[in-house]
Amino acid sequence: MLLTMLCVGRLQADETIDFNREIRPLLAANCFSCHGPDEEARESELRLDVRAAAVLKRDEGIPIVPKNRKESLVYERIVSKDPDLKMPPVDSGHSLSPAQIELIGRWIDQGANYDVHWSFKKITRPMPPKIENSTWPQTPLDNFVLARVSKIGLTPSERADRFALIRRLSLDLTGLPPSSLDVDRFVNDKSPDAYEQLVDRLLQSKKFGEHWARMWLDLARYADTKGYEKDQARKIWRYRDWAIDAFNDDMPYDQFTIDQLAGDLLPDSGNSQLLATAFHRNTLTNDEGGTDNEEFRTLAVKDRVDTTMQVWMGLTAGCAKCHSHKYDPISQQDYYRLYDLFNQTEDSDRPDDAPRAATPTSEQRNNLMKWKQQVIDLEGKRQTIESTPDFVAAMKKWEQANVGDAVWSAWTALSISSAKSQQQATLTVQNDQSILASGKKPARDVYEVTGTSHLKRITAIRLDALTDSSLERQGPGRNGTDPNFVVSELKVEIEIDGKRKQLKLTNARADFSQKGWTVEKAIDGNNATGWAVSPQFSKPHVAVFDFAAPVDLPAGSKIHVSISQQYGMSLTLGRVFLSVSGADPKSLAAKATSVKSLLTIPADKRSPQQTEQILAAFRGIYQPFAKLGEQIAKLNAQIADTNKQIPQTPIMRQLAANRHRQTHIHVRGNFLEKGELVTGGVPAAFGKIPSGNSADRLGVARWLVHPDNPLTARVAVNRIWAQIMGRGIVETEEDFGTQGMLPTHPQLLDWLAIEFRETHKWSVKSLCKTIVMSATYQQSSKVSDEQQEKDPKNIWLARAPRYRLSAETIRDQALAISGLISLKMGGPPVMPPQPPGIWRTTYSKLKWATSAGEDRYRRAIYTFWRRTSPYPSMLTFDAGSREVCLVRRIRTNTPLQALVLMNDPVYIEAAGALGLRILEKAGDDKNRGDAGFFFAVGRQPNADESKTITKFIADARSKFKANPDQVAEIIKSANINIEKAPANDVELATWTLYANVLLNLDETITRN
Amino acid sequence: MNPHYENLQYTTRRHLLGSAALGIGAMAFGSLASELQAAEASGVSANPMRPKKPMYAAKAKSVIYLHMAGSPSQLELFENKPELAKYTGKACPKEYLEGKRFAFIKGVPKMLGPLFKYKQHGQGGQWVSELLPHFSSVSDEACVIRSMHTEQFNHSPAQLLLHTGQSRLGNPGMGAWVTYGLGSENENLPGYVVLASGGKTPSAGKSLWGAGFLPTVYQGVQCRTTGDPVLYLSNPKGISREMRRTTLDAMRDLNKLQHREVGDPETLTRIAQYELTYRMQMAVPEVMDIGREPQHILDMYGAKPGHNSVAEAADDPRPLYKGDDPTFANNCLLARRLVEKGVRFVQLYDWGWDHHGSSPGESCDETLPIKCGQIDRAIGGLIKDLKQRGLLDSTLIIWGGEFGRTPMMQNNVRNDLKKGFIGRDHHPHAFTMWMAGGGIKGGLSHGKTDDIGYYITDDAVNIRSFQATVLHLLGLDPQRFNFPFQGLKNRLIGPTPEGKVVKEILA
Repeated sequence: MLLTMLCVGRLQADETIDFNREIRPLLAANCFSCHGPDEEARESELRLDVRAAAVLKRDEGIPIVPKNRKESLVYERIVSKDPDLKMPPVDSGHSLSPAQIELIGRWIDQGANYDVHWSFKKITRPMPPKIENSTWPQTPLDNFVLARVSKIGLTPSERADRFALIRRLSLDLTGLPPSSLDVDRFVNDKSPDAYEQLVDRLLQSKKFGEHWARMWLDLARYADTKGYEKDQARKIWRYRDWAIDAFNDDMPYDQFTIDQLAGDLLPDSGNSQLLATAFHRNTLTNDEGGTDNEEFRTLAVKDRVDTTMQVWMGLTAGCAKCHSHKYDPISQQDYYRLYDLFNQTEDSDRPDDAPRAATPTSEQRNNLMKWKQQVIDLEGKRQTIESTPDFVAAMKKWEQANVGDAVWSAWTALSISSAKSQQQATLTVQNDQSILASGKKPARDVYEVTGTSHLKRITAIRLDALTDSSLERQGPGRNGTDPNFVVSELKVEIEIDGKRKQLKLTNARADFSQKGWTVEKAIDGNNATGWAVSPQFSKPHVAVFDFAAPVDLPAGSKIHVSISQQYGMSLTLGRVFLSVSGADPKSLAAKATSVKSLLTIPADKRSPQQTEQILAAFRGIYQPFAKLGEQIAKLNAQIADTNKQIPQTPIMRQLAANRHRQTHIHVRGNFLEKGELVTGGVPAAFGKIPSGNSADRLGVARWLVHPDNPLTARVAVNRIWAQIMGRGIVETEEDFGTQGMLPTHPQLLDWLAIEFRETHKWSVKSLCKTIVMSATYQQSSKVSDEQQEKDPKNIWLARAPRYRLSAETIRDQALAISGLISLKMGGPPVMPPQPPGIWRTTYSKLKWATSAGEDRYRRAIYTFWRRTSPYPSMLTFDAGSREVCLVRRIRTNTPLQALVLMNDPVYIEAAGALGLRILEKAGDDKNRGDAGFFFAVGRQPNADESKTITKFIADARSKFKANPDQVAEIIKSANINIEKAPANDVELATWTLYANVLLNLDETITRN
Repeated sequence: MNPHYENLQYTTRRHLLGSAALGIGAMAFGSLASELQAAEASGVSANPMRPKKPMYAAKAKSVIYLHMAGSPSQLELFENKPELAKYTGKACPKEYLEGKRFAFIKGVPKMLGPLFKYKQHGQGGQWVSELLPHFSSVSDEACVIRSMHTEQFNHSPAQLLLHTGQSRLGNPGMGAWVTYGLGSENENLPGYVVLASGGKTPSAGKSLWGAGFLPTVYQGVQCRTTGDPVLYLSNPKGISREMRRTTLDAMRDLNKLQHREVGDPETLTRIAQYELTYRMQMAVPEVMDIGREPQHILDMYGAKPGHNSVAEAADDPRPLYKGDDPTFANNCLLARRLVEKGVRFVQLYDWGWDHHGSSPGESCDETLPIKCGQIDRAIGGLIKDLKQRGLLDSTLIIWGGEFGRTPMMQNNVRNDLKKGFIGRDHHPHAFTMWMAGGGIKGGLSHGKTDDIGYYITDDAVNIRSFQATVLHLLGLDPQRFNFPFQGLKNRLIGPTPEGKVVKEILA
């Protein structure tokens, strides 16, 4: 409609026709689908989107002859009366009006000049138009707006009053209404920069990030489930908190871009950068049985390409999956070149969403740091205790009192002559003849140990799986995340005069065995079973095996022990100690070496480990030491507990260079039909990856934020403008391509883009400030008849925009007004009340468990978002399902919205709390009615409004008085805490009902 | 003043007077999107659900779509294959397995002939199995398409392709497209209603009836049979209808004062929507109350008002299914009541038709007959009832699953025929659907498959052609009916030219 008005205007004026504004949209809508960039769909090998092709001579003539419409084939065909020749074809669904045909004719006559599509041109800084005779502009922004407002014969509106301004600013910047205190402070602030101070306060508020991240989460298609049929839960909320923090920290948009797209590829990437890459792990994962993981992996990669182009460039690349784009310069080859750069990550539609990374919250990180330091300090203290004379004397006394216990004396260590790993682990024989593994950690291994003994006859062999400080979590296994070990098979051979003979083992016993992994499985001849000790980690274990018959050991004989460990995942022994005994096997229990038995070894014969073991035992007894030990143990438990709680978040991780995937074009978008092989790159029409950068995701991110990129800054400022002003300068925020709408204020858009990128160095908060400090922003939103007639849709901004609040803001505001809201930030998603039976999804055990306590009243951004079944009231107020990137929510106005505000228990509960809050105000019906009105909309009601309110209160009160049952019921429905209620029940019911009215007012849910 | 704007204001005033805006504002079709944009440009939201004229003469005004989620076996219901029966228990020939992907079948499965007896019915001589006696008795009203095929072999993507035209997420459901194109005849009721039975919603969830890129007002409204039929429809306890009126009067008065002060026409729309809501609160429970039907009508469907089925509330409803469970029948009767009141599109989903034979409650030999018991009388009753009310000619009834089932027995659990565990895997290459009523040639059998029911031999119908045919019957040109979004004119039938109206089945 706007277009038509402009076209008609043009016909009357004899001005040069603007190709981009007037001709390209016509050609794009009517001609390019058959005569455009898509070579597959091109008819008669004619393309009209490129001038060089359109003016080229063909057999039947020249399509466009500049300055001569009569000679131009195109013109001949669009005016043709012959249905067989007429263009666009009669059955194509396209048509040109006579005015449009005339416009094309005049454009040809003027020379048929083409121009690059406006948004694909580099951004240059425009000069703000000169304004004479007006003191209205506050910032250059206003000059651009005023120039257009004057052109249609309107004047800007007066400044809104302070009540309206503070409510507007608070809702726009923080998504929450101002408190009564805030309003008082601002309205009575006499300082000349009161407004700017308020703006700064709001920009510094932590609520800013919670509000602005919401918009970003729509783009990031953030949700708490994985989508598709099963739609299982996904723990990725740390990414949501990352986004909130990024907005609060005012992270520059270029860094914000680079971290999310390629944080893992940065040379100095830290935990925060890694977490940021979860942006592209918000893609769907299909856990349905029988699905091809590769199919859904490729779908996820395509979604990453589409989303990247949508979010940063405002272009739809999606159609180029199957064929070259019909309107914009993105060929199918371009698409798969970009795809190749995103095709090199490890994730592969796995149910566990691997790869994931530990992403501690700042609280967890701070606690861990603090506790670890405390442990170090306490351990230092302990060390000094050990050198005190009191300690030494007490220990000596204790040693003497405790010598004894023959357990140890029954065993003799095997003297080790060789210990080898069949894989690449390093086995080192220690002083005490134990064998310590270090170096590489093969998944499976066999330790081959050879030793001798001075005993003449042996009856049993003993295997000690020892702990060691060189092992993660002390062992006894080598895998730090699972320090278990599995002894699959133990084999003992005796070698006499070079001849080996296997010894049969029997009667296996151990101090402890894991369920299903009992010790006899170490000698059952089956490598798939074995002895393991989960969950008893970080302490030594022992196993004893008898020989089937006593074995004589002639002098010079060797004993070969082979310990096969075939479980995988490096569940192998960290430190192993082998000994033999000649005693009666019945007397040999599988008991860990006791300290008492160690004390029988003379002090100078003890190995360092034995000395340490004895020392450790005494420390446990020595009071000052034990106390410190308790503190340390408590801290270590806290550390272990916190480590367990650290969320594991899906992240992007690049495949090793030798594992990079080859990318073929998917013919017709089908991943099984491999077409031409392509190499990675960015779409040819938009330059190259900036020099000095590699062709990978990091290169893409740097290309996006490079000053040569014509779109990134424009798209970003347009989006922020749209969030504040209700509509983008380019209304089709999702489409800056040739099919999108043209900007209403192209120069203003470019000015903002340059300010954002150059002046403010990509600071989102500065950009917000630039917008809200303008006179344009501060206008009143009242609509005059003249404005309604000349600019009903408020395109030219001679008044402030007025629009319905977002789903999230409506909820947050209701909770804030009623005083129920919890402002707790971050953490796992919460489940506020939802009607029963909403989640009846196939094959999923996920349950909606209504949150208790303050989590019931958290801001909407923290509500659990299930893709196949989003929170109903948000869906009703136009939120999407978060299955794919959503750039713009289309606002609707429906009866279902009225039902939510009138009857959803969440809003009824809010009404109850608000009613109570009003009742707590002193005064008569008018005072209270006015106070409630002020809570809801942030201004005093006028006389007519007050009258309506008091009449309603009287009416409701008398009806409730006549119906005591209803009084009791509504108090129950609204979940009112009666003990807190100061007045009688009829009053409570009446004011609750009034609050219900307030929460439903057009003004309440509207940003004025 | 812009005449178009004036027209819309008139519409708004009609809203305020509380009368239906029938026919007002209907403009030449094909420019629907621009009309919406123009309406928005004028600063007023026109009622987007008002009835709109079709693009050309329509055969059907409304749709009742009965989707059997999970996909029933065409070989037990419609496809009599004596040749296949001869091979029961024999290994499947290699040629049917090579290069094929199955959801669960591995290795070489055994062939499995139809498990139930077939007879020809009606003047059209329609082959229908003994499991559907009531449908058989009205088979002359329906056209059975025996040559449907799809591209997807998993439930969720296949359901999405069928209902939204894309196997991935984010596109509007068929009912959303239709209400966007035609609006609804009764503004006191939602235009697009979804009813579910079988204890679960279908695999693809609410995405099947979402609005996708269309304005959310066109999304399907799931009416539930327990609790509020429409979410938050009833006033909370303690707020009577009279008291609700009192609050609405206060809201209206305050909103009007706000409008007087600020002058935003959107405020007037809001007032109108609240009034509409008040009427909906009355109209919806009324239409949802099947207890108002006489006993002989309830009997026609096998409906039981107020019945609460144990299976409906169970975590795994399948082993609890009973043949006389009236939940689906109740929904069929509701569908008739809704269509009678002018609702444009009623979508029924009945879950529990995925008969693999691998766990209790999902076999072709035992569960399928139970499920057929739940739907057969209801469907027969629905067709007869619509006919006796003269509504069958203007109502299109569609029945089917999202794909078919294999002529082979599924072998991942067992290879012998164990009672209660005989099942078939997903089969995208051939399956059966039927349509009846508005604009459909009754008694016709369309398309054929080979002797073992594996491949289609004659008149294959792809999903896009099925969609094109539905739109065509409603007077919406499937080629031209589109919504511009993200630079493309999006269509239900997708961007390719595959979708062709199946002319042979039109009356």
